[in-house]
Amino acid sequence: MLTWGLQHVAHRPGGNLPGKVAMKIDPQLVSELRDKIFGKSIVVVGTNGKTTVTNMLADCVVASGRSVLCNRTGANLKSGITSALLQAKPSDCGVIECDELWLHRVTPDLKPTYVLLLNLFRDQLDRCGEIDRIQESIADALKSSPDTTLVFNADDPLCAHVAELVDNRTISFGFDTQMNLAQNLVSDASICERCSHMLEYEYRQYAQLGNYHCTNCSFARPALDFIGTEVELKDDGVDISVASTLSDEWTGKISSELAGSYMAYNLLAVFSGAMMMDCTPADVQKAVSAFDPHNGRLQRLTIDNRDILLNLAKNPTGFNQNLRIVEKCETPCAVAFFINDQVVDGHDISWIWDIDFEEIASRDDVIVFAGGRRKNDLQVRLKYAGVDAKLIDQAPEVLQDQGVLAADEAFGKSIPFYAIANYSALPPVKQKLESLANKAVGNSDHTQSSNEGDAA
Amino acid sequence: MSPIVIAHVLPDLLNLYGDGGNVRILQQRLNWRGIPVKVKRIRYGDPFELDDVDLVFLGGGPDREQKLASEVLVEHKDKLERYIDSGAPLLAICGGYQILGKTWLLGDEEVPGLSILDVETKRPGTSADRLVDNVALQTKIADHPVVGYENHAGRTYIGEGLEPFGRVISKTGHGNNDTEQVLADGVMTDNVIGTYLHGVLLAKNPEVADHLLKQAMEHHAKRTGEAAVELSSLDDSYELAANEFMAKQII
Repeated sequence: MLTWGLQHVAHRPGGNLPGKVAMKIDPQLVSELRDKIFGKSIVVVGTNGKTTVTNMLADCVVASGRSVLCNRTGANLKSGITSALLQAKPSDCGVIECDELWLHRVTPDLKPTYVLLLNLFRDQLDRCGEIDRIQESIADALKSSPDTTLVFNADDPLCAHVAELVDNRTISFGFDTQMNLAQNLVSDASICERCSHMLEYEYRQYAQLGNYHCTNCSFARPALDFIGTEVELKDDGVDISVASTLSDEWTGKISSELAGSYMAYNLLAVFSGAMMMDCTPADVQKAVSAFDPHNGRLQRLTIDNRDILLNLAKNPTGFNQNLRIVEKCETPCAVAFFINDQVVDGHDISWIWDIDFEEIASRDDVIVFAGGRRKNDLQVRLKYAGVDAKLIDQAPEVLQDQGVLAADEAFGKSIPFYAIANYSALPPVKQKLESLANKAVGNSDHTQSSNEGDAA
Repeated sequence: MSPIVIAHVLPDLLNLYGDGGNVRILQQRLNWRGIPVKVKRIRYGDPFELDDVDLVFLGGGPDREQKLASEVLVEHKDKLERYIDSGAPLLAICGGYQILGKTWLLGDEEVPGLSILDVETKRPGTSADRLVDNVALQTKIADHPVVGYENHAGRTYIGEGLEPFGRVISKTGHGNNDTEQVLADGVMTDNVIGTYLHGVLLAKNPEVADHLLKQAMEHHAKRTGEAAVELSSLDDSYELAANEFMAKQII
């Protein structure tokens, strides 16, 4: 009865509210609702890419002809998980996004078949404490569910360390090929977590991801079960080739129209998770090809013939990867950054100084804007990078900006616009741009993305 | 003119909270004035040499990194002392500030520091909470409030006769500790500033940046025998707008 009542209170999908109510009323709800998942389940954790990987994985399961229970909206605290479960129909499989620090409160009840650990980047330090605490928390979560298999990014020494801490079965994925990216200045881990000596890299992809070994002890990148053998990073997408030591059938090439080096890792994680969830490589390609994010993560919009790419970035690594996308833009363009400092973002925004904004200073055909509650801080940061950014309150101001309109005229058509926002700054940007996109196009293409407000 | 040399000590280990941005800010503020500048990054394993340096920046790091960094700093304590005794400026933040004192916190453990300053950092007493918040200070070196963000577990007490970097004037934040009657942050001697303020510190507090640069210029003149150059004024309107936004929120 209680569940029925809550389901009918919760008219909109995925928000955190009904879940919060439910958790207070019945702490056993997660385990009760777990029974709605008939077959395998996988919980996705990690700093960056959770929502994209979760949605793609769910699409893979659907492509394989099975039903899936999934919290698709990125409301990833434990209460968000409960909301998804409350509203969902019983399904063949479960694909669940979960916050790193909530995993230990979810696994004892949910007892998932797999935990998929994507990466651990510095994020919202004042909310989460330092990385060690997050690692211990994830390890505790896995210990509380010993039959759960950990599928982890072996290229990330911080994830590999988590795998060392637990007795659970583990499955690794990583790239055996170098992406040859320019290196950013700041990376999180440089030290062996076993013996506190420096790590050395045969190659680094970005941040702390790469092929590493300790200069003192035997800590090194674990042997790869899922091997990314080739990567092609293009302006308009990413191709990866994958093989696996676990099965000859688990091999294939996956092509995505979502750009960015971090998409290569997302795709490899999706492939690895999908194989464990009994999908085929063809299911993965089908799901990835059809994937159309409506959640502000690499979401494409068009307003008055202007191509707009909206993306979430909430830490230096995410921002640096986004800047790579802007850099690859071969035409003049406009880019706006939005930074808020709400609880979900972290009150401290000093991490904007770890973003290599210097990389766009060399482009004189990029018009830069600063928005969000901490737009003044952003403007200062950009100034020291050699970029004079204009302050804006709302994303649509960019579309009316004299400089942008003049650039349109000189270019002969509307220049692309990249809007990059952190967690709580994203929903209003998305909402404003979507409403204009709908007006401009005059159809309801984008109205199904009804998940705004989760993070607000 | 030979370049002003700014040393970023152990940037690969002491790299939390974007504090390396302070070095970038100092560098740019010289660039903009047409004054030659060189940033010397002394990484783990590099030769540790400060005799050719005009300004030292020391940040804080995660526990494991900070432990390794402290071993390097202890090994080269004499060079740091000689540098400070020469009157050259040093800015130390958070872990970097703590380690200059007699005792500091390594994880949960109180361990001996460099004892260069009469400062002690202890475990929180009954309260296990970290001190995490926005904070604003009144200082002797800036007309505007100095705004920043603190995030530390250790409680720091400065010796009698030492002056804090600034008095806490915001509704939020604690500075050195949460037990003394008058809340204050950091320590300031003639040429050393130690503080808990991230933000990054110098971004919204250009007067503090120029205070350090002025001392660096004086030291450079002394060190090289070249004529001292005056610091011209810069347009700090963006910096001060960001300062005012935060000051209005928290004071």
